[in-house]
Amino acid sequence: MKRKRSDLGHAVWFLAPNLVGFVLFTAGPVIFSLGASLTNWNLQRSVPLQFTGLKNFVDLTHDNEFWLDFVNTLYLMVGIPFAIAGSLWIAVLLNRKIKGLAAYRTLLYLPSFTSGVALMLLWKALYNPDFGPINTVLRSIFDAVGLGRHVDTPQWLLSTRNLAGLNVEHIGIDKHQFGLGARDALNLMGIWTAIGGSNMLLYLAALTNVPEELVEAAKLDGATNWSAFKFVTWPHLAPTTFFIVVMSCIGGLQGGFETARVMTAGGPAGTTTTLAYHIYSHAFERFQIGYASAISWVLFAVIFIVTALNWKFGQRGGADV
Amino acid sequence: MKRFITMKWVFAGTFAVLTVLSIVTWCIQPPAAPPGKKPLVWVTDTNPLRTEQVSLFNRSHAQTDLELDPNDSGVEKVIVQSIGGVGPDVFDAFDGSQLAAFAKSGVALDVTDALKARGVDIASSAFPAVLNAAMLDGRVYGVPTNIAADATWFHRDIFDEAHIPYPKGPIKWDEVIRIAQKLTVRDANGRITRFGILLPWWNWRHFFAGFGAHVFSPDGTRCVVDSPEAIAAVELMHDLVYKYHVCPSPAEEAGIASQGGFGASDSGVFGAKRAAMAVGGRWWLSELRKIPDLHLGVFESPFQNVRHFRAYGRATLVSRETKNLDAALDFLVFLAGKSYNQLVNDQADGSSAFPAYDTGPQFLHNPKHPEEDYNEVWQTASRYSVPDDLCPFVDSTTSTRLFQNQLDLIQNNLKTPAQAMRDAAANINAEIQHAIADDPSLAARYRAATGSK
Repeated sequence: MKRKRSDLGHAVWFLAPNLVGFVLFTAGPVIFSLGASLTNWNLQRSVPLQFTGLKNFVDLTHDNEFWLDFVNTLYLMVGIPFAIAGSLWIAVLLNRKIKGLAAYRTLLYLPSFTSGVALMLLWKALYNPDFGPINTVLRSIFDAVGLGRHVDTPQWLLSTRNLAGLNVEHIGIDKHQFGLGARDALNLMGIWTAIGGSNMLLYLAALTNVPEELVEAAKLDGATNWSAFKFVTWPHLAPTTFFIVVMSCIGGLQGGFETARVMTAGGPAGTTTTLAYHIYSHAFERFQIGYASAISWVLFAVIFIVTALNWKFGQRGGADV
Repeated sequence: MKRFITMKWVFAGTFAVLTVLSIVTWCIQPPAAPPGKKPLVWVTDTNPLRTEQVSLFNRSHAQTDLELDPNDSGVEKVIVQSIGGVGPDVFDAFDGSQLAAFAKSGVALDVTDALKARGVDIASSAFPAVLNAAMLDGRVYGVPTNIAADATWFHRDIFDEAHIPYPKGPIKWDEVIRIAQKLTVRDANGRITRFGILLPWWNWRHFFAGFGAHVFSPDGTRCVVDSPEAIAAVELMHDLVYKYHVCPSPAEEAGIASQGGFGASDSGVFGAKRAAMAVGGRWWLSELRKIPDLHLGVFESPFQNVRHFRAYGRATLVSRETKNLDAALDFLVFLAGKSYNQLVNDQADGSSAFPAYDTGPQFLHNPKHPEEDYNEVWQTASRYSVPDDLCPFVDSTTSTRLFQNQLDLIQNNLKTPAQAMRDAAANINAEIQHAIADDPSLAARYRAATGSK
């Protein structure tokens, strides 16, 4: 008993620096922001500070801009399943014993340790509608197949169009909006960035834990490569996939700030403004700290619900390992 | 257990070393200012010309050590840092909306009486167009530090090659469009390699000035970008790009603009002769002087209804939290004085915000730059300049964003200029109503301005 008490004392001392930091710089501000969300706190002092209860949350429900930005955020998450599937595919390829494996792994991981801003500037140049390499290649292809005069190349970051035909000013569909635009450009860039990143590493690590004897046994029983993957490997990857899906959803809901800041300024016509940028804009451009805190808590609630749903439905189908 | 003890000592030792190093760092940190001098931190832009301006002040004020801090520029940074007690002593406002944000948040100090006591009266001595950044509701918060009234740059050699006489103001848009069409050059594929004129859409206020259009009504209670003048101004912006094909579209601009550096984009495009003419300020010279073999000229910008030119400029404000108020006020007096304003003129950091200093041979025919024989044009532009409209009932970030969204929709062919301007006005007016509903003091002011109950 005495020894246990002594261990506890040591543990408290070791945990204390982190705990103090967490309380001061994470938990404290989070609770403070909950309080702020119930006020009209504005850094411009002409508005007297008042407790306004749930007014900010009620205002949010009929704030058209908030809903448009929420839809933008969801639209920019469309790339997540493709990025995850791509990561898995690449991890499976890299899990084979082939020549130059280390070089391939390094090349594919490059986007993850390259400066994000540098990558964004690079993609911005790639997407230039007139001089960018992407449209130059597309124009050559269109010309080669005789479509050059009939099909316009996308305007990418300058266009409000999107594959779902989402309206720019209201929630809804607008047939004039079908096409490729800024949101799709950001999705493509997101997939490219994520496909060879940490998700790939996680899958690689998980693949090394799949018992080889089980795969070999399945093949001896006549399973094809695909069947062996589907019935043996994939169930073993379920916990990793679950973790990646949860983290990607959280990242997606919180994301979009850097791209909006560096590449699009949230435009054109607000189509790349996500909830994260919306919060920044209200807090630090319009100084409406109370309202921005309320949006942050709504975002937290959405993330919590999405994670809970993932937790409830996403853990099924794993192997009993 | 032995291993645990070893690890414990590793952690404890690391903690002790870090603590000692922190104490040592704290003890040997350099003083904020040399001994006997009061430190003064100035948050401004990244313009390299500031270094010489700081040196001039420090040479003439032995008791003060003025330091530049260009990294913390930005309204949100200054306000948040100042409220947190770590803000700068003096900082710049780049327009009236920034001053309003600084003043309303209680960060900027009202220096009306302090400046009057020191013999500085900016209301009567500075160009009215730049007072927006220094004065709010009749109170003085700072001193204007320069003025940039846009005029039109041109390449003399391009005009000579085309045998077109140099334009002279006052001049109207029709004539400039005709010249721009002649000077626009295409390659074999029909792609434009040199534009007739460069006037980016972000400078829409310049079009508004020449058309006599306004963003807000004179009392600031209503957005009026749906007026016939405003619609005509935006239609011309659209036509220059999509009808006359003399001005680059945003996509073309992004393709030809260089990246990075102070003022690099528009002046860089013009300096590289990708445009024969370009609307811009005298401050472009800080970049253009570095480019060899340019033969530049300047003429008054074209207008349509009114001979007005958009002007803008910085003003330096004093923080309410400064611990060196006297030194900060000395700096403001310096900014309103002869030596600083002559330096601004010489450096071509725009030109002096005070009419008293942009006259005379030193400004008009600077012996260091005899080729710059066009300074009279800047003088005229400053005298015909108008400030940006302000509205106390909606923050500028919001109104500009709502306006910009509509410009984006025009560029995407989703709306005509007339439709877009009507929607912009409706959206901004709705925002005004929303703001006054949330702020009792604004509501009272709105009622007083409109006479409503």
